[in-house]
Amino acid sequence: MEQEMSAQLKELFETRLNSAMRIYLDTCARCGLCIDACHVYASMPETRYSAVARAEIVRKIFKRYFKMQGKFAPWLGEVLEFDDDTMQKLYDAAYSCTGCRRCMVHCPFGIDTQAIMGIAKALLIGADKEPKILSMLSDMSITKGETIKETRADYAAALKNLEPEVLALWPKPSAKTPVVDGKAPVIPYGSKGARVLYVALSGAHSIVNPAAIMNAADESWTLSSFEAVNFGAFEGDNQRMNKIAARIIEEAKELGVEEVAIVECGTAYRVMRHMVQPGPFKVVAFVELIARYLREGRISLDNSLIDGTLTYHDPCQIGRNGGIYEEPREVIRALTPNFVELTPNRAENWCCGGGGGLVAMGENDFRMKSGKVKAQQMAGSGAKVITTACENCHTQLSELNEHYGLGMKVEFISTLAARALIKPESR
Amino acid sequence: MADALSAATNAAANAAVTAVDTATSAISSATANAAAAQGGAEALSAATSLPPTGVGLVLARISWFIVVPGVYIALGFGLAAIVVRLVKIFRSPPPPWQLAIYPEVSHPRQAALRDAFGMGQIRKQAPLFWIMLVIFHLGLLGIFLGHLDILPEISIVSESSRDMLGAGVFGLMVTIPIFYFIGRRFRSPVREVSTPGDYILLLLLLFTFLFGDLMSWGNSWTAQGFVMTKADFAQYFDGLLKFKFEDPRTYLHGTHYHFLVIHVLLAEAVLVTLPFTKVIHAFLSVPANILRRRTWNRK
Repeated sequence: MEQEMSAQLKELFETRLNSAMRIYLDTCARCGLCIDACHVYASMPETRYSAVARAEIVRKIFKRYFKMQGKFAPWLGEVLEFDDDTMQKLYDAAYSCTGCRRCMVHCPFGIDTQAIMGIAKALLIGADKEPKILSMLSDMSITKGETIKETRADYAAALKNLEPEVLALWPKPSAKTPVVDGKAPVIPYGSKGARVLYVALSGAHSIVNPAAIMNAADESWTLSSFEAVNFGAFEGDNQRMNKIAARIIEEAKELGVEEVAIVECGTAYRVMRHMVQPGPFKVVAFVELIARYLREGRISLDNSLIDGTLTYHDPCQIGRNGGIYEEPREVIRALTPNFVELTPNRAENWCCGGGGGLVAMGENDFRMKSGKVKAQQMAGSGAKVITTACENCHTQLSELNEHYGLGMKVEFISTLAARALIKPESR
Repeated sequence: MADALSAATNAAANAAVTAVDTATSAISSATANAAAAQGGAEALSAATSLPPTGVGLVLARISWFIVVPGVYIALGFGLAAIVVRLVKIFRSPPPPWQLAIYPEVSHPRQAALRDAFGMGQIRKQAPLFWIMLVIFHLGLLGIFLGHLDILPEISIVSESSRDMLGAGVFGLMVTIPIFYFIGRRFRSPVREVSTPGDYILLLLLLFTFLFGDLMSWGNSWTAQGFVMTKADFAQYFDGLLKFKFEDPRTYLHGTHYHFLVIHVLLAEAVLVTLPFTKVIHAFLSVPANILRRRTWNRK
């Protein structure tokens, strides 16, 4: 690798050296307790798939360029220089880590390997070696933010096509949706003064089911022009991540909403809730909203529709990294009396293996192999249905279900809740 | 006949008394000679302890440098490097977003202290490793207090005690776990993530502790009992504390002195390298755990 490129990468590395990162890079005792915590290692027991081995690649570069050891006794820490081999190691480390942070639960110091992998991803971007699919998707999201005025009418027209599906689940619009052209829209869009801005994904299911639930709860809501997913976060590009989030923040400010409800997407929720500067509104995950409607008696669910036992997969970015453990369980208890927990669950739950951009990148072979421990956990529950509150998890669990022949049904919580809404005539 | 018998008895008794006297006298004489010999040896030793010359002089000067100025250099360098390193870390910009994991705790600092000192994560996953770590860290604390206690100004155990605080037990509390840690590091999968520096650090600590154990244990396994006592070490530490720059060899007797020199040299190596090794976790464990426990955005 050219000297100039090495210097640029060193400079880029330095921009990421905040106090937490220095603590993480200096503190590891290589005790190895994180090794078994990684679902990839548990499924494919190769040391390179452990948190410590991944972090060591970044740490060895850190020692080479920022520590005395790298200058005087590089052999002591087996330091690494920027070259093609090191960049390949960084790629393999960064994109075999889903950023689930289960290792952080097991580490005696609480070292955040996902954050260290953020440095690896930044270096890969600096060397133009990041997965191009992620940067392309990030750029598309940013461009959409810049051209939204031109596409708004088309989007509104497309939403009209979804109305019958919403009405099939709940027969009327929300009582609080303002009337436009003599009629209250079933999927309100661009409504100023709405209380909730709901941010969906591009898939129709992420609009239809939540729309029915919010209409049933007579929520004052409106749909966002943007999809919630943040490819910048997957890519590890903080600038792109902030730009993608800024589109939603600006829209929420413009509409004057009190709450921004994020679709069932773990990373989108964590980015908006915990990783960007807070706006003058509250950020909630959509599953929190469903739980609140149930608690306030604004919706009722039929608990007889689910055949057999149901289990719940805690999405890493919503549970361990987002703090939402009980709300999904509140909704599930209203959906079925036959709920069984996965073992382990909550903070200790195994990652599905689809996070960190792996689903968007494809990586089917790796995802299926690294998801073996998850498949075993799913099968061990004895449940017929597994539900979750994250798009990536849903995709990965569905593919694991098929790959390992588990014979389970994989469902979103919002889908189950929308189907179970007790309609006015039945009440 | 009776007179003859009486005379014979008296003669025998006198002979016996004379024999006992002779024997007693011989014993006294031997004791006195032994004492004289010992005194003579000491006197001879004192008389022959001439200032060393040649290689002996060089070695004596090196030993003095290690046990006196070396201590100041290692302590000063080690402490300064730790301060510089910590300042560099804590003057860096804060992380851009919260790094906590959930469930949320109501008292993050207390939870971080529990994590750092209770090592609950290790207890759950590797109970034997945890036991060894607890023994090791308690041993380190005991050793630290034991060395502080040598100072004449501090008296956790009596100044007249021949033993240091713990009577060598703290030394074993760190030495035995080090063997376990080394064994663990040689086993897969920890071996695959270890670097040469990890092994060297463990070996450095092991030999520092082993020579420390020699001070505590081997030092007392002589025919005369302790060669160097707590009071002798106190004199050495007092000299260091008061910057006397005197040669402790004048009051630290016996061949164990050479072990002491090696022990001090190894301890200095630990102090000098400490800020650049993972031992820095001693200072960063609590801040790292605070990052894990402190949520910026409460529900």
